[in-house]
Amino acid sequence: MAYVLRRLALSIPTLLLGSILVFSLIHLIPGDVATVVLGQEATEEAKEAFRRQLGLDRPMVVQYFAWLGNVLTGDLGNSFVDRTPVLELILQRLPATIELTIGTFIVALLIAVPTGILSAVRRGGFVDYFSTLFALGGMSFPSFALAYLLIIVFAINLKWLPASGYVPFTEDPVGNLKVMLLPMIATGIREAALLMRMLRSSLLEVLGSEYVRVARAKGLNQRVVVMRHALRNALVPVLTAAGLLVAGLLGGLVITETLFGIPGFGRLIVESIFRRDYITVQGAILVSALLVVLINLMVDLLYVVVDPRIKLAKGG
Amino acid sequence: MKLGTQRVGVWLVLVMALALVLAACGGDDNKGNTGGGQATAGGQATTTGGSTSGAANTAPTADPNAPQSEATINISLNADPPSLDPAASSAFVDRQVHNSIFDKLVDLDPKLEIVPMLATKWDISQDGLNYTFTLRDDVKFHDGTKFDAEVVKFNIERGLKEESPRRNELKSVKTVEVVNPTTVKITLKESFAPFLSVLTDRAGMMVSPKAAKELGENFRTKPVGSGPFKFQERVTGDHITLVRNEDYWRKGFPKAKQVTYKIFTDATTALNNLRSGQVDFTDVLPPVEVAKMQGEQGFRVVNEAGLGYQGMYLNTKKAPFDKPEVRKAVDLLVNREAVVKVVLQGTGTPGHSPFAPSHFAYGESDKYTPPDVAQAQQLLSKAGASNLEFTLKTSTGNTELAQLIQGNLQAAGINMKIEQVEFGTLLEQGEKGQFQALQLGWSGRPDPDLNIYDFIVTGGANNDARYSNPTVDEQLNLARKESDEAKRKAAYDKVMQVLHEEVPYVYIYHQNNVFGMTSKITGFQYVPDGIIRTVGMNKQQ
Repeated sequence: MAYVLRRLALSIPTLLLGSILVFSLIHLIPGDVATVVLGQEATEEAKEAFRRQLGLDRPMVVQYFAWLGNVLTGDLGNSFVDRTPVLELILQRLPATIELTIGTFIVALLIAVPTGILSAVRRGGFVDYFSTLFALGGMSFPSFALAYLLIIVFAINLKWLPASGYVPFTEDPVGNLKVMLLPMIATGIREAALLMRMLRSSLLEVLGSEYVRVARAKGLNQRVVVMRHALRNALVPVLTAAGLLVAGLLGGLVITETLFGIPGFGRLIVESIFRRDYITVQGAILVSALLVVLINLMVDLLYVVVDPRIKLAKGG
Repeated sequence: MKLGTQRVGVWLVLVMALALVLAACGGDDNKGNTGGGQATAGGQATTTGGSTSGAANTAPTADPNAPQSEATINISLNADPPSLDPAASSAFVDRQVHNSIFDKLVDLDPKLEIVPMLATKWDISQDGLNYTFTLRDDVKFHDGTKFDAEVVKFNIERGLKEESPRRNELKSVKTVEVVNPTTVKITLKESFAPFLSVLTDRAGMMVSPKAAKELGENFRTKPVGSGPFKFQERVTGDHITLVRNEDYWRKGFPKAKQVTYKIFTDATTALNNLRSGQVDFTDVLPPVEVAKMQGEQGFRVVNEAGLGYQGMYLNTKKAPFDKPEVRKAVDLLVNREAVVKVVLQGTGTPGHSPFAPSHFAYGESDKYTPPDVAQAQQLLSKAGASNLEFTLKTSTGNTELAQLIQGNLQAAGINMKIEQVEFGTLLEQGEKGQFQALQLGWSGRPDPDLNIYDFIVTGGANNDARYSNPTVDEQLNLARKESDEAKRKAAYDKVMQVLHEEVPYVYIYHQNNVFGMTSKITGFQYVPDGIIRTVGMNKQQ
């Protein structure tokens, strides 16, 4: 518990640094906020009034600390474009992306774990050959192309599943899953390919190690050797990769979200950048950074579960 | 356990990098200036001698006797409307939703004539300074409050506030006077021919004063109007749901029970959803799909000339375009037919003018000619320009057009480089004059003044080319104040003759409005301002 608290405390400087980085990067993007939000027809006085209203005429440092001060009191500010509270926008968008991330991850695991294990154990066999082909294809085939393919086959031709029409899980679980299934598969296959390769090579390495040979010498059967002894050790690097994967997905599902019309978090960030809605970008990235910190913490805690030899160190 | 912090850092950088990459290659509105403002009706100000009156007859759309239904019409929009409040709106796409929620003082019909809406008739004084509107007496807002002359005063003054994007369209207004509950008189500072047509768009939309006062800035996410549909729900970036206004003043309208706008920023995704049935109507189709779709059973395509234009600004204050001969040479080299055929796949009309060919202001000098390499070379050598080189800035969606122009110019030995710039950045660089050539168009308005004045007049807000010519300014101001159509056309003809010699802007084509719909949709009537008027639309089950 103390470890968890310490880790959380240590993440504060990271978040601060991240927010400064994002704040400065955003302001390096050309394109004046007032021009983009108000449009070309707006008069110069309208633009000035806009800047004054939103405090954009103040020095950058002042703007940053004003924003930070509000954030510390839990206020992420209001969107430049339509004045909706940023927190509300984030909460509207986050559930869909979290669901998509979890779904993608489940699809990836369902494919990657069995094929990864089989191809390592039966190295050079039919399964190994086939799964290597799959992995190569999965990684090379762009997920947007796969998405279009799935839509054309399952939504347009067969009409089994809709091409869009996201509804929250809490409102209509069946309708929700119908819409989310295709996008989960479209991104899940790619992630599965990555995880599968990772698991295979890690497992192969462990299977070649001394202690596995000892286990085999003891006369344990293949199943026990692989599942009980080798797999656990092989999972540590896979876990690291999976953590990174999940973290990456939270912001990296923009394309899938766009193609399937899912109101997700990635789209919020990208659309806000287009509209120069900086305050929304700042808030959204801060929240996603926080999520990444939490995911990393979870991964580190899982290490201990998977491999009891790992002790949570006292330091950072 | 230092890993954690490092990973956050790396990840943050990645997110930003991704966001920036996407920002750099994302889709823009090909229609041109998103600063898309008002639709204004063109040239209907047919004052002859006395005063002009609007007659109370038609309003666009279908058969009032057709039955109402329980249908929901799903319409896809290519961008999320930033503001549902007309007084705070600066994007074209906003107008699609506004037109279902709000009524305007006057409307446009398919022939671009101005027709009554909330105003049943109007009188314009001979000097063009006083507009007296007679208003409907049977209109209620969605919140139950009544529409009257006070409401008009409130709304016009709201649009005149300094922070409103409407101010620019309304700045000729001096006073708004309530004569009686159904009569309002608007007095202008100086005669402004496009004024009535400005009121066919956001500047003439009437919002509920009660709701606007109570909600303040939140009005833009909770709009209250008197239109055929009431606002129900919005999930930003995903959809906007409107339901029928059962007390709508036009008896028997609207036809459908519900309209849902769904946001699809990708045209192919919108098309997929049209095909799979999640969407009944799309506001955009990928050009390559238009011809294919036209022959397809179960679908209908509208591919009609709009009011806008596309082309490029040539910076008259920067070499090599500080010489008019060089600008004219570029104008002579562009192959407009090829642009429409190859780049647009027929979803546009070749052009050489800010006015669409069907428009009264369109004149002889606006006709385009095939490329003339010999004459262009002559002009270039006269200007002493050899080995000419320049950079065209273009938004990321329009690279094919740029590449085609690049090939056209090569014929006369001009080497054009292409620089892709994200749309918001392009607007800023245009405004600041940080370019040699810049590809940026205009979504178009019904009145000619609003398609040329600010773009060409000395110091105009959209005069990115930094062009200045006193004769042209004089004619433009004349046309702006004159209400007689023939006299206005004569002035525009003079302007265009000069512009075709001096070429601050190379007009290339008029973009079409392209809509796709399933054949279940009935009652859609095309109006060249590109607005999807939902009031008469229905869906067969």
